[in-house]
Amino acid sequence: MTAILTMGRIFRGRWLATAGLCWLILVALAAIFAPLVAPYDPLEFDPLVRLSPPSQEHLFGTDHFGRDSFSRSLYGARMAIVIGFGSVVVALVAGGLAGMISAYFTRLGHVIMRIVDVLMAFPALLLALVLMTLLERSVVNTVIVIGIVYATTTARILFGMTLKLKGEVFVDAATCSGAGHASILFRHILPNLVSPLLVQASFIFAFAQLQAAALDFLGLGLPPEVPSWGNMLSESRIYVTRASWLLLFPGALIILSVFSMNLVGDALRDSIDPRFRNDIKGV
Amino acid sequence: MLGYALRRLLTLVPTLLAASLLVFLFVHLIPGDPAAVLLGDSATPEEIASLTRELGLDQPLYTQYLLWLGNVLQGDLGTSIFFRIPVTAVIADGAETSILLALMTMVWIVILGVPIGVVAASYRGTWVDQVTSGGAMLFASVPTFWLGLYLILIFSVTLGWLPSSGYPSIRDTGGLANLRYLLLPSFTLAAPNAALIIRLVRASMLDVQREDHVRTARAKGLAPWKVSVKHVFRNALIAVAAAFGFTFAALVSEAVVTETVFSLPGIGRLVVQSILRRDYPVIQGVILVIVVLYMVINLLVDLAYARLDPRVSLK
Amino acid sequence: MTRPNTDASDLLLDMRGLTLGVATPDGILPVVQDLSLSLSTGETLGIVGESGCGKSLTSLAIMGLLEGTPVRVLAGEIFFRGRDLLRLSPRERRAIMGNEMSMIFQEPMTSLNPVYRIGDQIIEAIREHRPMSRRAARDRALELLTMVRIPDPAGRIDSFPHQLSGGQRQRVMIAMALAGSPRLLIADEPTTALDVTVQAQILKLIVELQKDTGMGVMLISHDLGVIAETCDRIAVMYRGRVVETAGARELFQDMRHPYTRGLLDSIPEADEDVDRLSAIPGRVPTLDETITGCAFHPRCARAGAGCDSDQPALTAFAPTHFARCHYPLEPDA
Repeated sequence: MTAILTMGRIFRGRWLATAGLCWLILVALAAIFAPLVAPYDPLEFDPLVRLSPPSQEHLFGTDHFGRDSFSRSLYGARMAIVIGFGSVVVALVAGGLAGMISAYFTRLGHVIMRIVDVLMAFPALLLALVLMTLLERSVVNTVIVIGIVYATTTARILFGMTLKLKGEVFVDAATCSGAGHASILFRHILPNLVSPLLVQASFIFAFAQLQAAALDFLGLGLPPEVPSWGNMLSESRIYVTRASWLLLFPGALIILSVFSMNLVGDALRDSIDPRFRNDIKGV
Repeated sequence: MLGYALRRLLTLVPTLLAASLLVFLFVHLIPGDPAAVLLGDSATPEEIASLTRELGLDQPLYTQYLLWLGNVLQGDLGTSIFFRIPVTAVIADGAETSILLALMTMVWIVILGVPIGVVAASYRGTWVDQVTSGGAMLFASVPTFWLGLYLILIFSVTLGWLPSSGYPSIRDTGGLANLRYLLLPSFTLAAPNAALIIRLVRASMLDVQREDHVRTARAKGLAPWKVSVKHVFRNALIAVAAAFGFTFAALVSEAVVTETVFSLPGIGRLVVQSILRRDYPVIQGVILVIVVLYMVINLLVDLAYARLDPRVSLK
Repeated sequence: MTRPNTDASDLLLDMRGLTLGVATPDGILPVVQDLSLSLSTGETLGIVGESGCGKSLTSLAIMGLLEGTPVRVLAGEIFFRGRDLLRLSPRERRAIMGNEMSMIFQEPMTSLNPVYRIGDQIIEAIREHRPMSRRAARDRALELLTMVRIPDPAGRIDSFPHQLSGGQRQRVMIAMALAGSPRLLIADEPTTALDVTVQAQILKLIVELQKDTGMGVMLISHDLGVIAETCDRIAVMYRGRVVETAGARELFQDMRHPYTRGLLDSIPEADEDVDRLSAIPGRVPTLDETITGCAFHPRCARAGAGCDSDQPALTAFAPTHFARCHYPLEPDA
């Protein structure tokens, strides 16, 4: 109940961000109920209806194998959610831990943050590409690679925030009352970082979609048989002059989802502790 | 200024060494004998044995690294498996396209990002601001390759105004007119970055507008546009300049995609093709070059920053 | 629009019924109410009151700098040399700002643009109103820096603000304010952010410049001590209203409003025991608190019947001495 009230306060008067939130909920529902809603099997070939434009039978048209684009888009929502959440979890856990521990144990932190600096010397997609060359194309590997890329920025941000909090009175108080390191980090400092982390998570979710789509497009992301929005675009690029709907629908889905997540992230950022507001760079 | 630049360059050395170590280790992380990996599938056992000796692959890892680093410092990045020519030559081939693409992209970013950001800040809270700020965020949410494909569809396929792919060198027939091949790619590459600059210019202008010295400027009786340009925008530029370092990193990432969409013979597409061809020496070389370039750009940004903000002392 | 000039011809500034309000989600809250004050050429008027009493907003309204703040002029007139400033076009107002009328601010540390040399900032102020060559403007800027007693003006003119001390920056601000030979100088807490020794120097400088140029000065401060040393006439403000106004000597010898008394008592004196420091009890009420009657009555020791219901009118105690109180203090025996 309080969660709903808080959401109401954050989104009050922000109709665009509210629309974004609604869209994301719709995507999540599509992902969950894809098998029930999809009119066709997303993997089923039907050579008779190759490259047919949007119609009553095929809302988003069909691709070069005659597969139903609408059904594939619904299953693509699943991939979007999996990639988004997976990358967020990897980035926040790896980056968050690295950042918090670095700020707390300064000597070890110095080493960790240097490593982060070195990783950040590689532009994001380049780092992802290099890592992908070492790994098989799979959903899990894509998630891990994108997660690692954003773990570096997350570590930097969390490092700064933990440093700010470390100097606060309540941390001293906890130390004086004999709390252990783990207890101070996770019971006293972490709860204060939950909302900034949520904001960071929403931006990572958005960026991860774009990175995953780029990897798919370059042929270095998800395995080609997986129906993701990025793969759909990648496969159809040579047919776009004949079948522009193959470009339009998956692209629009990616843009709407990333845009919505950015709007939501923006709205959330305006509602968090002003001390942390400028630490998180969104769009 | 020069002394500061040199000192800053020295502080980059540890990071550079660490990055080079990662690039070096990359080949060793690939399953298989590094010599076989570096020579590709068609290598004969004699070739493998010869390269193993040359790179000291039978020696401890740190010796190998020092040997490799020594070669790199002498400008020897190895030989491409695919092209059978030195990696430096392969990279040099792609340099013209990528550099020109980057320059044209920067022009787009500046002529689009800065004025729109200023307008958004000046009309803060009105529909003008909402449309430009929202539009900027929308553009930042578009996958680069999707925008590229759509622009090809509109301007090349449907209207037939601009070429859809490739880029003949300006040394070839056509000369500077060949730059039209880069119009769509540079716009594609610029769009998401210009969107970031719009939002940044707007935000820093609004920050500066709240500062006391702007009130002083108005108290002098200056016209609003003079206050905006000479006092607000000039100071907002400091924060914008600092962001150009990040913009470069984003640019490199998106150039990989853009050059692939438009089939441009640049370094970005070289990376992707080398990965698909498993041409590891080239991957290694290109990444090393990009990392060094990125650091140099950040250094230049710092120097520009110091010139824009007299409070920053170059010590 | 010109006002029939019935008063002395040297009347420089004349505010009549000035009312300022700030728009909030709960409606428009008045921040300055029915303020009428005037200032003659060569005179120094001090406005004193605690922070939030509306004194700074009044100065911004005169200067024309309310734009960009949520505060708006709701009613009233501000005559400057016979012209109502509120009826001028923005362009006409800008021709006066920084020229016939200029202002210095509280924060010398942040009031100068950090990216320009101080000389260039002064030159900008000079050339905005007097077209002249850069060379001539630079000479004039050096002259101004000498006038405000910056040591080594030729060496300092190319300094950046961060290379100067707070006192020197305030001198630069004053030099900039003098660029157009103003008839009226508004100084909003010009010494608050400075060290005590520097405060005295800056005040002395303002007084001397005023004597030399014959301009009118409006000095705004929360510190009655600062005002007492420098001003010919004093207006005491409390929560958006003038509660007492009189000549400086008159006010100190014969103060009528309990609030003025409280302000005076809160000035620590060098030989005074800290324990005896008596301040005004309570705190300044926030804007959204509605107080009926006299706004000061919740903190007033003399408050009696009617204070919580009727707004006291401005009553004359002498031709130039007015106070707004139901139970005014008796003159000292």
